[in-house]
Amino acid sequence: MKEEILKIKENSLASIKSCKNLKELNELKVKYLGKKGELTIVLRGMGKLNPEERPIMGSLVNQVRDELNDLVKEKEKELKKEELQKRLETENIDVTEPSKKINLGSYHPITQIIDEVTEIFLGMGYEIADGPEVEKAIYNFDQLNTPPDHPARDVQDTFYITEDIVLRSQTSPVQARVMEKQKPPIKIICPGAVYRSDSVDATHSPVFHQIEGLVVDKNISMTDLKGTLEMFAKKCLGENTKIRFRPHHFPFTEPSAEADVSCFVCGGKGCRVCKQEGWIELLGCGMVHPNVLKNCGIDPEEYTGFAFGFGVERIAMAKFGIEDMRLLFENDVRFLKQF
Amino acid sequence: MKASIEWLEEYSDIDVDSVKLGDILTMTGSKVETVEQKGKDIKNVVVGKILEIKKHEDSDHLVVTQVDLGNEQVQIVTGADNIKEGDVVPIAKDGSELPGKVKIKKGLLRGVESCGMMCSVGELGLEVSDYPGQIEQGIMILDKSFEKDLGKDIVEVLNLKEDILDFEITSNRPDCLSIEGLGREVAVSLGKEFKNPRRNIDEMKVEDKKEIEGLTVTIQEPDLCYRYIARVIKNVKVGPTPEWMRRRLKACGVRSINNIVDITNYVMLEMGQPMHAFDINSIKGKHITVRCAKNGEKITTLDEQERELDQSNLVIADEEKAVAIAGVMGGLNSEIEKDTQTVVLESAVFYGGSVRKTAKKVGLRTEASARFEKGLSSENALRAVNRAAELIELIGAGEVVEGKIDVYPTRQKINQIKLEVDRINQLLGTNITKQEMIDILERLEIQVQDDVATAPYFRMDLEFVADLAEEIVRFYGYDKLETTLIKADTTLGIRNKEQKIEKKIKEVLVNSGLSEIYTYGFVSNQDLEKSNVNQELIQNAITIMNPLSDEYKLMRPTTIPSMVQTLATNANKKNQNVKLFDISRNYRNINHTVEKGEVPLQENILTIGMYGDDVDFYTLKGLVENLLETVSVNRYEVVKETENESYHPGRCANLKVGIDVIATMGEVHPEVLSNYEIEKRAYLAEINITKIVRYAKTNKKYVEVPKFPAVERDIALIVEETIEVGQIEKIITKKSKKLLESIKLFDIYRDEKIGIGKKSVAYSLIFRDKNKTLSDEEINQVMTNMITELEKTLGAELRKV
Repeated sequence: MKEEILKIKENSLASIKSCKNLKELNELKVKYLGKKGELTIVLRGMGKLNPEERPIMGSLVNQVRDELNDLVKEKEKELKKEELQKRLETENIDVTEPSKKINLGSYHPITQIIDEVTEIFLGMGYEIADGPEVEKAIYNFDQLNTPPDHPARDVQDTFYITEDIVLRSQTSPVQARVMEKQKPPIKIICPGAVYRSDSVDATHSPVFHQIEGLVVDKNISMTDLKGTLEMFAKKCLGENTKIRFRPHHFPFTEPSAEADVSCFVCGGKGCRVCKQEGWIELLGCGMVHPNVLKNCGIDPEEYTGFAFGFGVERIAMAKFGIEDMRLLFENDVRFLKQF
Repeated sequence: MKASIEWLEEYSDIDVDSVKLGDILTMTGSKVETVEQKGKDIKNVVVGKILEIKKHEDSDHLVVTQVDLGNEQVQIVTGADNIKEGDVVPIAKDGSELPGKVKIKKGLLRGVESCGMMCSVGELGLEVSDYPGQIEQGIMILDKSFEKDLGKDIVEVLNLKEDILDFEITSNRPDCLSIEGLGREVAVSLGKEFKNPRRNIDEMKVEDKKEIEGLTVTIQEPDLCYRYIARVIKNVKVGPTPEWMRRRLKACGVRSINNIVDITNYVMLEMGQPMHAFDINSIKGKHITVRCAKNGEKITTLDEQERELDQSNLVIADEEKAVAIAGVMGGLNSEIEKDTQTVVLESAVFYGGSVRKTAKKVGLRTEASARFEKGLSSENALRAVNRAAELIELIGAGEVVEGKIDVYPTRQKINQIKLEVDRINQLLGTNITKQEMIDILERLEIQVQDDVATAPYFRMDLEFVADLAEEIVRFYGYDKLETTLIKADTTLGIRNKEQKIEKKIKEVLVNSGLSEIYTYGFVSNQDLEKSNVNQELIQNAITIMNPLSDEYKLMRPTTIPSMVQTLATNANKKNQNVKLFDISRNYRNINHTVEKGEVPLQENILTIGMYGDDVDFYTLKGLVENLLETVSVNRYEVVKETENESYHPGRCANLKVGIDVIATMGEVHPEVLSNYEIEKRAYLAEINITKIVRYAKTNKKYVEVPKFPAVERDIALIVEETIEVGQIEKIITKKSKKLLESIKLFDIYRDEKIGIGKKSVAYSLIFRDKNKTLSDEEINQVMTNMITELEKTLGAELRKV
C-alpha cells in the first residue's frame, strides 16, 4: 500500500507540475484529490490494514494530500497570473480615440458674472435681495431722492406703464424696499434686470443687468466703501487690481463717487479695452443720501450707509472679450457653448 | 460744457499743461471728457512771400515758385491757381507736420525739386468761415501786413494755439455751466487765488425803476418765475462782434450772430445765466407779462418752427401774444433786426421743473433750458444783466439806459448748515481737522462762522452736512481716502430657499446639456398670436406707454414667445440639437392691478426649449422629472393637457399638485412651429419656480434600508389604445395596499394578434413589507384583486405569456 501511495504521489506531482491551464488543473485535482479521486480510494482501503499499520499509512496519505494541495494552490496562482497577463495583452486600447462624453450645457456669461460677484459678497456676509421689475415709481424714484420734477424721471430714459408704475430703471428700488422692511444692520446685494429706453446697438440694450450693493449700520464710512470695493475688485478681477475713486453725483448718494479699476486686460499699461487709459470705469457708488434713509424710515442721525451699483453686461463684455452686446441676447448656441 | 484755457486764465493762474489740468479737475469732481489742443499738430509751418512764379516745363497744371522765408529762399512746386507773385502765404517746410499727422518732405515733382508745400485753410485744420475772403480750393492768402513776419511760425502769427477742455458737468452743479464757476474750481483745485474779475459788477448799484422807456413788467406766476430783470439799451448799432469775443464763443461751440445776441450768449457762458434780448418795438403796449400759455396758443420760435403750447407752459408775453417761451427760446416776432433801435435785455429765473417739462413738450432743448432746468440762482441774474450792459457799452453797441426793472417776488433762500466735524470725519472715515475743513470751505466761498456754514448764492445744491462732507473730501482728495473694512457685527451671507433651488435647478440643467439663455421681457401682439397664446392671457399683458417700437410694446404674460423665437433663431442658423433654458419672469396684470397703482404678478419661470434628433416628449419629461426630484417635489401628477394651443393637443401634459398646475410641457404646436418657420419638431416646458419653491421639501429624512426580501411579479395587460398607462398605474398602486415598492413599465407592444386599436402593456412590480417577509399567498391575493379591478374599471385583459 505504501508503494501505491508513493506511486500516486509521484504521478500526481509530475502531472500537476506540467499542467498547462486551469481547466486541466481542476481535472487533475478531481482525479487525485476529489471524492472519487485516487488518493481517496486508497484511504478507503485502509480498513483492510492491520491496526498497527493504519496510523502510519494514514499519516502518509495526509502528508501526500497536503503536499498535493499546496502544489495545486501554487500552480493555480501561477496559471491565473499567466491567464490575466494574456487577457491584459489582448485588451490593449487606443486611448487617443474619441471619448463618449455626456454633452454639458453652459451658463450664460451674464449669470457667470452675477454668480462670481454674488459668491464674493455672500462670503462677506451679504444677503441676496430681489424685487419686482415692473415697479412702483415711488420705489424707483421718490424714495431714492428723485422727486417728480427730477430730470432722471424723463420719459426718454424710463419705460412707463402708468404714471405710477414703471419698468425699474435701476436695481436701487430693491434697496428702498429692503430698508423699509428691515432694521439695520443691512448688508444686501441685488442682482437683476433693469430697463432703459435705449435702442439696441453694439453697446446699448433696453434691457440689461445691474448688481447693486447696500450696507446700512452705525458708523459706516466712505473708507469702508472703498475698502469693500477694493476687496471685491481683487477677488473678482485679480489680486493686483487697484481701485480709484473720482467725485461724481447721484441723487441717492452724498458724497458720491465713480470707481475705476486698473484695467484687468492689460494690467494698467493701456490697451483697446481701457481706451489706452489704464483704468476701466467699474461702478457708481457713494454714501446713502440722508433723504433716502429718512424716506425709508431709517434715522440718518443714527445710521449711515453706502451703496454701489454696476452694469453686468459691460463687465462680461470686457472680461470675455465680447464686442457686440447683441450677442448676449441673441442666444446662438455656438456663442453660448463657449462659456 | 467747453472752456478754453485762455478764458479760464482770467479767473485763475494756471501753471500746469492742459492734459494735467484735465486730470486734476477730474479728480476734484469736474470731469474733463476731452482735451483739445489746437495748433499743437502744426509744426514747422512759416510765413512766406512768393517772389516768382514760373511754368513747370513738364506739366500743364504745375508751377515752380521761389519763396522768401525771411532768412532763406526755397523753391516750391504747386498746382494751386489762386496765387500771384507778391502773395504772403503759409509754407509747410521740409520736415513739417500738419493736422491729421501729415508729414511734408522735400521731393521731386515731375523732375523739379520742391522744398515744401503752400497750405490751404483746410490743410491747417482751420475753417474758411473764420477767415473771410479765403476759399476752400486754394492756398490761404494772408494779409499783406504779415510781410513783416516772414519765416515766423504760422501758429504764433495767426494765434492758432488754443487749448479747450470739454467738461461733463453733473446735474447738481449748474454753477459750473459757466466759465466763472469752472474758473473757481480751477483756482481751488490748483491752490491758486480766485481772481474774481467781475468784482466791479458785484459792487455795481443800479437804481430800481417801475418803468423804463415806457416798458413795464408783471409776473403773474411767482411760483414759476422767481425774478425778472429788464434793462434797456438805446441807439443800438447791430453789427459784427469783436474778434476776441467771437473767438471765445467759438471755443465754447457757439456760433456768432450779431453783437447784441453774441453778448447775451457770452454772458450766459461766462456767468451761467441765460439771457434774452428783444426789440422793444415788438412788445405791444410795452408791457411784459410772465404768464402761462393758453391751451392751443401758438408761437413761432427763433428757429422758425411753429410750436403749440398749453397752460402748463410759461411764456413771456405782451398785451396780445407770447414773445418767448420762458427759459427755452425767444419768439421770431421779437427778434433783433438790423434796424433795431432799442433793445430790452431780459435776465430772469424760472422754476427748473417747469422749464424741463416745457422744453420736453415743445421738443426743444436749448443751452438756456439745459441751465434753467437744473435750478439757477436769482442773485446771479442781476449780475448777468449788469455785465451784459457793461459789455454793450464796452464794444459800443448802444447806450445803456439808467436803472433796471426788477420784479423779484420769490427771494432765493440761502442755506445754512451746521459744520459737524466729528460727523463729517465719521462719514468719510477720515481725521481731517476743523481748520482744514474751514480752509477748504472758505476757498469755495462757503463762509463758516460759529460752526455754521453759509452756502454762497451760486451753490444752491448745498443743504446737508453730507453735502459739506463731499465738498471737503473733493479737495482733501478722494485718492487720499484709505481702504478700511466694516467694523460691525457679523452678518450671515446665505441664499434663501428660492435662491438655493434656482441654483440647484441650473446645475442640473447645465449638467444635462442645456445652455442658458437671456431674453428680453418685451413682446409684441404679433409674437403672442404667433405663439397661439390664448386670449385671456393676452388680455393680461402689460402695455408700455412709451415703447421703443411695436415689437417691444408689451411685457410678456408668458415666456413661450421668447423661447420659441430663440429656437427659431438657432434653427435658422442651422444649429443642430439645440437645448436651451431660461429662468426669468412673466408679467401678468390680473384684475387691473397696474391701474390700481400696484405691482402686477411677476412669477419666476423656468422655460426649457429643445429640438434635435435626440429629443422627444419623453426626454423632456425625464428632464423635468429629474429636476423635480432634485428639489424634492414628489407629489405631483402628470395630466394630459389638450386645451393649451401653444402645444400639440395630443402631446402635452400639465404637472399638477392637487389642482395647482406647477408645470406644462409638450411638443410645440405645428402651427406655432410653422409661424416661426421651424421645420423640426420642438419641445417646450414651462416650470413655475415660484410654485416649485412652495412645494419643495427642504428636510430630507433617512428611510431605513429594507431588511426583508422583496417579491417581484410581472404583469402584462391588453387594453384599448385610449387607456393611458397612468390610469393603469393608479389602479395598480391603489390595489397594492402600500406594499408596492416600485413599478416599472418595461414594454408597450402593438400587434394584429392583440387586436387593432389595442396595446399590450407590461410591468415589472416589486413588493415589499418593511416589517416582515411577504408570503406568496399574500401577493397572489393582491394580484388577483388588482387584476379584477383593472378588468372592471379599464376593461383590461390579462395577457397570457
